[in-house]
Amino acid sequence: MKRTAALLSLLFLVTAAGCAGDAEPAADTVSLLVAGTPDELAAYRSLAAEYQKASPGATVNLIEASSAKDLMTRVSTSVAGNAAPDLFLINYRNYGQFAVKGALAPLTARLAASGSLHERDFYPQAMGAFRWGGEQMCLPQNISSLAVYYNRSLFQKYEVAEPVAGWHWNDLVATAQALTRDAGGRTVKAGDPETAGVPAAVHGLGVAPELIRLAPLIWSNGGDIVDDPAKPTRLTLDTPEARQVIQDFLDLTKVGVVPSDVEVEAQDYEARFAAGKLAMFVSSRRVTTAFRAITGFEWDVAPLPQYRSPANILHSDAYCMTKASSRQDAAWRFLEYALSDPGAALMARTGRTVPSRISVATSPAFLSPGTPPARSQIFLDTIPALRPVPTISTWPEIEDATGKVLENAFFHGDPLDKVIADLDAATRPVFARGTAAR
Amino acid sequence: MDRDRRQLLLMLLPYLVGLVALVLLPAVATMAMAFTESDLIATSRFVGLANFVELTRDPAVRAAVGNSLSYLAVSVPLRLVLAVGLALLLHRRARAAGTARVAVLLPGAVPELAYGLMWLWLLNPIQGPVNQLLLLGGEGGRTMFGTLPPQWLTDPEDARAGIVLMSLFTIGETFVIVLTARLALPPEAYELAELEGARAGQVLRRVTLPLLAPVLAVLVLRDTLMSLQASFVPTLVVTGGGPPPYATTYLSLVLYQDAFEYLRYGYAAAVAALMLGLTAVAVLIQWRLLRRWASSGAVGVEVRRPGN
Repeated sequence: MKRTAALLSLLFLVTAAGCAGDAEPAADTVSLLVAGTPDELAAYRSLAAEYQKASPGATVNLIEASSAKDLMTRVSTSVAGNAAPDLFLINYRNYGQFAVKGALAPLTARLAASGSLHERDFYPQAMGAFRWGGEQMCLPQNISSLAVYYNRSLFQKYEVAEPVAGWHWNDLVATAQALTRDAGGRTVKAGDPETAGVPAAVHGLGVAPELIRLAPLIWSNGGDIVDDPAKPTRLTLDTPEARQVIQDFLDLTKVGVVPSDVEVEAQDYEARFAAGKLAMFVSSRRVTTAFRAITGFEWDVAPLPQYRSPANILHSDAYCMTKASSRQDAAWRFLEYALSDPGAALMARTGRTVPSRISVATSPAFLSPGTPPARSQIFLDTIPALRPVPTISTWPEIEDATGKVLENAFFHGDPLDKVIADLDAATRPVFARGTAAR
Repeated sequence: MDRDRRQLLLMLLPYLVGLVALVLLPAVATMAMAFTESDLIATSRFVGLANFVELTRDPAVRAAVGNSLSYLAVSVPLRLVLAVGLALLLHRRARAAGTARVAVLLPGAVPELAYGLMWLWLLNPIQGPVNQLLLLGGEGGRTMFGTLPPQWLTDPEDARAGIVLMSLFTIGETFVIVLTARLALPPEAYELAELEGARAGQVLRRVTLPLLAPVLAVLVLRDTLMSLQASFVPTLVVTGGGPPPYATTYLSLVLYQDAFEYLRYGYAAAVAALMLGLTAVAVLIQWRLLRRWASSGAVGVEVRRPGN
């Protein structure tokens, strides 16, 4: 009997302890799901710590995902399991999947009533990308775009002129050719019998064969990537403007200025640039934090080259609030801090983001005099020319499908007509399944 | 019900509850989900056979079925041959045999993700140790046989071979079972074979393999059941399903991407149903072959028909 009583007591204690563990967190506790590199995650940890310091009694539970795709998985499964985070940070190209399913809490009314955040505080290009069905669904944390990162030391060593605003795609190719060198520093030209079979120790250019890399060039040449940006049903890469850009892009391999697929698999573009094996690399602001660790050479950023007119592609992440969150007021208070001048400045100092908050983007916190890249201003100068990709719920699938076709074409030289036909065939059914934002 | 049967049932109960709650019910729910459009967020919608019709048109699924079946056809026999070979080699007490057994077992103990990341480095086309090894004795970037080294991550055939290669080092469990079965074989059978003057090859063919056959049959069926899932982590971590478009895209990867990256749980459930169907067909074919061999006396599987 005594043993039974003891066992029952133990069972009670264990159950009570378990229940205590499941108790609702305090009202001022906010869960925030983010993805990123160790540097980025460290910045979010600092942001959470600063918020807790600035708001006594408040707690931020930071949930760290390893990648953007991992974050998407976590959001969907946690929403399905009724354990959604209060806030999560997501790129505008991916948030449509959640917006269309009603998983997000609109922020229009909260923004209108806020004493500290106002729509005019943010770049309209970034705000617009997160509008769904007339509602402001998420608030942008950053507004990045594509730029050309370049190894200034190599330019100086080989006496090649540094890129200037308004440079043409052909200038980029010519510059890349001048900088593609063998181990002895001699230029390596594809098709040149004198350098046939000589491996390039430095390639002139690194650019991933992706639709989001092609899109700004097609816009710049007067074309478009879809038939109707507001309600797309198919890709429109068969226009003369798009065909010219795709052909020029695919010719980079023939010209011999980009590393081969084997070389990229052995060492990706980012690592190649950091190792001094790439003279130029097309990427968004996100690589800046990693490149700031480079000590062997000087580097900077240049504007994206253009065809007829300036154009660039919007890269933007935003804080979204889940509809299932039971602590939306606390989540909003955190948002107000994270997007305020001190909160945004904290993230800007990591170098990884171009702040969406105008006052911080134009401040030394972002422009960071004395810290590379010296020409950070180019990210702000390009903002008027930024365009978003269509906000459609199946966009991640469209990027994956086009990425496969373009990678094959880029490295194995598929003919242009086949590439365009394959891209169309791979994406039509995906467009048909998607729901557009507007 | 007598006391022994009650006790037996009581002891089985926790397992049966787990089996029903964690395997059978989710399996039934998944099969039901295959007939819906479901993202686990909005309300599911019944779509009849639409997901299955789409499966027949999906190029990723078509490629994945071919890749999965070829993986099954190559990997399962190779893994078994390797495990049996090593077990027969290492079953005797010999110098360093214990260390060698541990070495065979060890890769299976490495977490799958870490194992995948390690192979990502091993198969690196330029700096990877596998290709560095193959280049030993060769000249001008060629192997000693004058061929170019495999392009594990960029050539479709080489990438598929790489995935099979990765699977050949995780045979620890199969190895232990065959080793234990070999150690349990009656020594009298070998003494008799020695007295009869049988050579090593004859002993293997006439004594060892027939006596091990029941165990090997079970292992083949088990490996077949597992093989459609075993390729998942290597492809996710090492090849990402490429080289593009679908060189190493297996059904398990298609399922994962559709469910967790594109939030198409209904469609992913249809892929799961397809995997289940393919596994069932593969097992059925093997079972029928084994029964035929057993009835012709080729292997030692005892087949009992109901009522016999």
